[in-house]
Amino acid sequence: MALKFKGKVWVFGDNLDVDKEIIPFREREMGLMKDGNFGKWVMTPVDPEFPKKVKKGDIMVVGTNMGCGHGHQHANIGIKQAGISCVIAESFDRNFFKNSINLGLPIIELEGINKNVKAGDILEVDLEAGEIKNVTTKKTLKFTPLPDFLLEIMSAGGIEPYTDKLIAEGKI
Amino acid sequence: MGKTIVEKIMAKAAGKPEVSPGDYLKFGIKDTYIQVGSDIGALNSREYERLGWDKFFDPKKVMIAPEHCGTWARQQDNVTNRESHRITKEWALSLGVPKENILDLGNVGTCHHLPIEKGWALPGNVYLHADTHCPTAGGVGCLGINLSAAEPAFLRLGWMWFRVPKSIKFNITGKLQDGVMGRDVFEYILGQIGPAGAVYQAMEFTGQVVEDMSLDGRLSMCCLSIFTGAKTGIVNPDQKVFDWFKTRTKVHYEPQYSDPDAVYAKTYTYDGSKIEPQIVVPPYRRTVQPVSSVEGTKITTAFIGSCASGRDEDLRIAARILKGKKIHPDVMFNVTPGSAETMLRTDKEGIISTLLEAGCLICAPSCSMCPGFYTPLAKNEVCIASSTTNVPGRMGEESAQVYLGSPATVAASALEGKIADPRKYL
Ligand code: SF4
Repeated sequence: MALKFKGKVWVFGDNLDVDKEIIPFREREMGLMKDGNFGKWVMTPVDPEFPKKVKKGDIMVVGTNMGCGHGHQHANIGIKQAGISCVIAESFDRNFFKNSINLGLPIIELEGINKNVKAGDILEVDLEAGEIKNVTTKKTLKFTPLPDFLLEIMSAGGIEPYTDKLIAEGKI
Repeated sequence: MGKTIVEKIMAKAAGKPEVSPGDYLKFGIKDTYIQVGSDIGALNSREYERLGWDKFFDPKKVMIAPEHCGTWARQQDNVTNRESHRITKEWALSLGVPKENILDLGNVGTCHHLPIEKGWALPGNVYLHADTHCPTAGGVGCLGINLSAAEPAFLRLGWMWFRVPKSIKFNITGKLQDGVMGRDVFEYILGQIGPAGAVYQAMEFTGQVVEDMSLDGRLSMCCLSIFTGAKTGIVNPDQKVFDWFKTRTKVHYEPQYSDPDAVYAKTYTYDGSKIEPQIVVPPYRRTVQPVSSVEGTKITTAFIGSCASGRDEDLRIAARILKGKKIHPDVMFNVTPGSAETMLRTDKEGIISTLLEAGCLICAPSCSMCPGFYTPLAKNEVCIASSTTNVPGRMGEESAQVYLGSPATVAASALEGKIADPRKYL
C-alpha cells in the first residue's frame, strides 16, 4: 500500500464513539451486518446518507478522542470499507489508534487540523514525509510521522498481513 | 528521574532498564497466560483458518474461558454460544493447548473477573486480552492492555507493539460517605475532566480514599478508566492485593510502584468526602450528574453486573439496602454475579437469598444485560444499571434509556421504582 493519498475532506466532531456515532451497536448486534460490510453503516447515526456520498480516497477529518468507547474494530474496518483513505484527528482514542494500524487504516494525529481544514477541501497527504498539503487553500501542514515499523505494519495492510510476511520470510 | 508504575511495568515487560512516554515497544506476556474467550476464540479460529496459520507462539500459555456470554444462546453470526465454545475448544486442542487450560461453565464469569480470581493477572505484570475493559486488572497493580483486533496475530507472534503513555495522577483525599462507591469516584472524575480528559494516557488512582478502598472498588474504577479516553487505569498494589493472591497463584511476581518523584502529565486532587453518588444520563456516556439532579426519574428495569461491578461488595451493598424489603412491583431487577466464585461466596453469606427474597432475578455469572443478553431491554424501557456503557441499543432496544450508577444507587432505585439516593438506606 502506498502511503500517499489525495481526497476530499469530510469533517466530523469530537468524541465519536465507535458504537454510537461510527457503527450503530444495535444494528450490528441484531445481525444486520452479517455480510461483513460495515462500510454501509459508517457514520449513519450522524449522517444517514454518508456511505452513499463518500467517494473512494476521501479523507475524514475529526476532532479530539476519535473512536472512543469500546475497542470494537468494526469502526476501523467500516471506515476503510467505505473508501476512506485516511483519518486525520486532533487526537485518537487508544483502542482506535491501535486498531487502525493493526487493520491497515492510515491515520494521522495532528493538533490544530480542524483550524486548517474545512469540509470539501482537497488534501494531499504523505504519511512517510509527515506532510499534509491543503490543495484548496495552498497551505502545507507538518506532522511527526509514525515510526518506520508501524508504517511498515500499516502499509502491509495490518498486523495479520505483516505476520504473514514474517512467516514467508522465515522470521517466525 | 523517577518513573510511574506503568512505565516500570512496561520497561520490565520489554526487558529495558527504563522507558519514557512516547516510546514504542514490542513485548508479550512472560509469566502467566493469555486468556481467550470462547466467543472471540471462534472468530480467531476462523481468522487462523483464512490465513492458513497453524501454530500458537506457546500453546501452554493459552487459557480458554467461556466468558462474555457463556450462558446465552447468542445468534449473532449464526453461531450459538455453545457452538462458539465447541469450535474454540477443538481449535485450541488441535493447536496443542493443554486440556486443563480449557475452562467450561462452572468457571464462567465476565472476562475481567476471571484473571483476578485465577491469579493470571498479577501485580507488576501485563494482562493482555481482546476486550476493551482489560484495564480492570489495574485494580491489583497489573497493567491491563486491550489487544482488540490484534489478538489472532498476537497468538501467532507472541508479542505486540505498544506506546508508552503519559500518566495522570488522581489523588482522592478524605473518606467516602457510606453509599458512595469506587464507581462514583470514577464517574465523578469523568464529570470533572470530560470524555477526552485522559486521551491515550494512564490514570493512576491514589490517595486515602483509594488506600481504604476494597479491591472490588479499585477494579471497578480501573475497568471504567477507558471512558476518559485513557489507555488504562492502575492502582499501586498493597498488602490487600498480596493477601488476595496468596492462595491463588504459586507464580512468583514482582510488584511495581510509582517512584515518589515520578513525572506526571497532570495531577488532580479531589476531596472524596464531598463526592455524591453519580449518574451517567443517557444518551451519552459522558454526561455525568449528581444523583440529586435526576432523583425521582421513573424506571422499569435495574441491573447490577458486568465487568464494572457484579463483585462481592456490589452484591453485598445491594443486599444491605434490600434486606427485609421488596423491590418496586413495576421493576424487573436483574442481579448477575460477575463470576462463579462471587456467586458461591455471596451465597454462603446469605446475600443471594436476601436478593431473591426482595424479588430480584439472579442470572448465571456472565456479562448478562451489559451487552443485552438474558433480559434485554424492551422498547422505551428506562433502566438504571451498574454496567459499563449506555450507548443506544447497548442493552436491548434502541429506544430504551439507560442511566448508569453505582450498585448501591441501582438497588435503592429498584426499591423505589425511581432513581434514588442510596445514602438514606444505609
Ligand atoms: S461485562 Fe460488558 S463491557 Fe464487560 S466484558 Fe462483558 S460485555 Fe464487555
